[in-house]
Amino acid sequence: MTRKRMFLRMITASLLRRRSRMLIALLSIGIGATILAGLVTIYVDVPRQMGAQFRSYGANMLILPREGENLTKEDLTEILQAIPEEELVGATPYQYVRLDMTSRQQSFTAAGTDFTGVVRTSPYFSVEGAYPAETRQILVGREIAETIGVKPGFTMELTFQPSAAEGSLSPEESRVPGASLSGRGEGFGGGMVYVTALLNEEAGIDRITVDVSTQTPEYGGRIPEDDAFLAQFRGKSLPLVLGEDVDALSGATVTSGAIVDALNSAVQTGEAARPRTVMFTVTGILTTGGEEEGYVFLSLEDMEAMTGMDRLDVAELSVSAGAEQLERYAEAITEGGEKAQARLVKRVTRSEASVLEKLTALVFLVTLVVVLLTMICVSTTMMAVVSERRREIGLRKALGASDRSIRSEFLGEGMFLGLLGGVMGALLGFAFAQAVSVNVFGSSITFQPLLLPSAILVSMVVAALSCLLPIRRAVAIDPALVLKGE
Amino acid sequence: MLLRMIRGVLFHQKGKMLLIALTIMLGASLATGMLNVVMGVEEKVNRELKNYGANIVVKPKDSSLLSEIYDVGEGAELNTAYLREDELGKLKTIFWAFNIVDFTPFLDAQVTLEDGSTVRMTGTWFNHHLDLPTGESLDAGVTGMRSWWDVTEGRWLDEKDENAGDEIMAGAQLAKKMGWHAGDTVHITASRGEKDVTITGIYDAGGDEDDGIFATLDLVQEMTDRENKAASIEVSALTTPDNELARRAARNPAALSSRDYETWYCTAYVSAICYQIQEAITDSVASAVRKVAESEGTILERTRLLMILITALSLVGSALGISNLVTASVMERSQEIGLLKAIGAKDRSITGVVMAEILITALIGSAAGYFLGFGFAQLIGHSVFGSSIEMNTQVIPVVAGLITLVTVAGSLPAIRTVLRLRPAEVLHGGH
Repeated sequence: MTRKRMFLRMITASLLRRRSRMLIALLSIGIGATILAGLVTIYVDVPRQMGAQFRSYGANMLILPREGENLTKEDLTEILQAIPEEELVGATPYQYVRLDMTSRQQSFTAAGTDFTGVVRTSPYFSVEGAYPAETRQILVGREIAETIGVKPGFTMELTFQPSAAEGSLSPEESRVPGASLSGRGEGFGGGMVYVTALLNEEAGIDRITVDVSTQTPEYGGRIPEDDAFLAQFRGKSLPLVLGEDVDALSGATVTSGAIVDALNSAVQTGEAARPRTVMFTVTGILTTGGEEEGYVFLSLEDMEAMTGMDRLDVAELSVSAGAEQLERYAEAITEGGEKAQARLVKRVTRSEASVLEKLTALVFLVTLVVVLLTMICVSTTMMAVVSERRREIGLRKALGASDRSIRSEFLGEGMFLGLLGGVMGALLGFAFAQAVSVNVFGSSITFQPLLLPSAILVSMVVAALSCLLPIRRAVAIDPALVLKGE
Repeated sequence: MLLRMIRGVLFHQKGKMLLIALTIMLGASLATGMLNVVMGVEEKVNRELKNYGANIVVKPKDSSLLSEIYDVGEGAELNTAYLREDELGKLKTIFWAFNIVDFTPFLDAQVTLEDGSTVRMTGTWFNHHLDLPTGESLDAGVTGMRSWWDVTEGRWLDEKDENAGDEIMAGAQLAKKMGWHAGDTVHITASRGEKDVTITGIYDAGGDEDDGIFATLDLVQEMTDRENKAASIEVSALTTPDNELARRAARNPAALSSRDYETWYCTAYVSAICYQIQEAITDSVASAVRKVAESEGTILERTRLLMILITALSLVGSALGISNLVTASVMERSQEIGLLKAIGAKDRSITGVVMAEILITALIGSAAGYFLGFGFAQLIGHSVFGSSIEMNTQVIPVVAGLITLVTVAGSLPAIRTVLRLRPAEVLHGGH
């Protein structure tokens, strides 16, 4: 007990009395531990952080329907559960069809999609104007925009021509549940009124959307906001008679009639039911430098209303995970799903893996070199501080202290400094890593709980080791010589 | 006398001075290594990012959108405009020629297989050898530009082979459908000719290309009678991340002031390189593939920032390490300083002697450290990127300045402190 107390007292006394030297030693160990803890934290977190940056290359996984299967949005939601939420950067469904712009004799590939997803899976999309936010708005690829000369704010009328197989519907067939009908009727002053209706399960009208932009704003133009008027249509089966099935909106009799005409014409003949025409407002022009510039993009809801199909042709996924993990997800989805299969976008995953590997190796080597050199720096400083105390060692020896007790005391002192410096360094290092992460990647870093004990351990070992050499030399010398100062 | 005193210290206190020199060497090598790496790394990472493929696509100015939009495929009447294959070498004569890493032309054709199905055959360069007017020569083509392809069977088509003109590579999906294997011979028919060709390899590209076949540009030109024509060129170039000026210039270079124009033209912005490619290739439109160009910018910027911060940390670390040690060594010599004072030396001359000793040691240490650090940079360059990191002369004054500053800052206050003590006390050993 007393021995132990004496030992403690000697250590603390030396630390307190020789404040400036000890401060130097502590500072150097602290710096070493800071660098160690900071760099190791960064190193551990770099692949994750950089991986997130690499997501700017766009989707790295595609979900495709199996042959003959119909993949829907609900199916997609279910499939996505295979991927942890925090790793899923974004998922964007796409339905591709060709739409005609009859007024210009042009035909475009149109993609129905979810724009909130596009922003995440294709961050490289550069839009002049804005993404569509409401229904009947459209984003036009630069190539198309230049060919037909549209700018944000312009309108374009697009028509969907179902393929021959599904197109030649008889009036009866066109009233199948879930069908989407489009038609037009002549409104007030000869302006056209466009109506799209979606049929419910009983083949009654589920909801209708009207485009009355050609009508007088005070009268017929009010119809899209008039819920009471539009509600009349709900559940009615076609054809309709104005005044019996639905009442005309007062002051807009002609326009009301045009809407009824449009709906009736949509089902009267198979011919009229087929093309579904919708007027879109261009909100933005898309530049990518890729083939997307030859497409138009509209919301999936608009697309489904036009085509009457709820199938997805592809879903783009951006997943922040390593190459192997991605393969595992893809396999799990392909094996587990009856409707869909997952494919990796090799161009992105391959390149990402190789670049990320290089970057990680770079940070690793840099960390290694810096930590190694810093540790050597720390130990030279410690050595200088200890060898300065040769006289003290000599004196103790002359007083009869054994080599072992001297050694253990110095080691204890060094390790105490190591502990103190290690704690200080681990905290400072984490703060540094946090600052780097926030500055470079704009996100916070995860604290590695193992780092605190290991930083302390390393600094204690380094401190102890660097004490050992000079002590051994000092102990080996005859005390008389040391005391004499030679 | 001064010289003698310094020499005396340097030689008689070898051990201590060696320790200081060692620490300074380590600090200097750390600084040199990190600065060299941080300056060289951007170019290396930029080169790595070329894995993602082309960041610039060149197309003929009047290329009709029809084939792309209508998917009508190749009907010679539709796609009237072409680029000239013999002009491709000009890409290496533009101002930023050195930044052009790789490029390859493409020409598509619809071909009919034995079973009557039609597939897309893409004519391109694989490892096309080019002798440039400048006297240089290079191999360009898809072998480098499609580094993510997995050749699952057989090998890459080699244009240096004599019969490369009768060879094709087939996509994995198509090969699976048709039951093809590497080494098989298949008969293909195009608009202006038919031929028996050998499959040298099956590739898995993980995309649309898996449903088609790739052949040499010559073969496709010959089979569709489109001599010296290419429909598009993909270019992989090292670029500087865009800034506001680059974005303004991309919209309309003519609207820039002449000074801005010069800055823009002489910086490797992707828009500037596109502009110069348009100047070099007749009737062409070069556009940046934003997916690649933009992402490269982001990643480069992050990497640079990360390296700068790590460098800053290691510089601070080595600076504190050095000044710590220097302080400690001065404190240790308090007895000697006391003695000098006791025999009548002036404060100024003592400071001069001690500083000179330490600075000479620092000079030797940092010179050794510079080379050691350069070695570290090379070690990192070779093991990570497989190429050496260029020696950057700007690093020398920075490291020299840093070491001087740190040594002086570490020793001066310590010397002052020691001088302030009374010689008798110091000599007596009580402090």
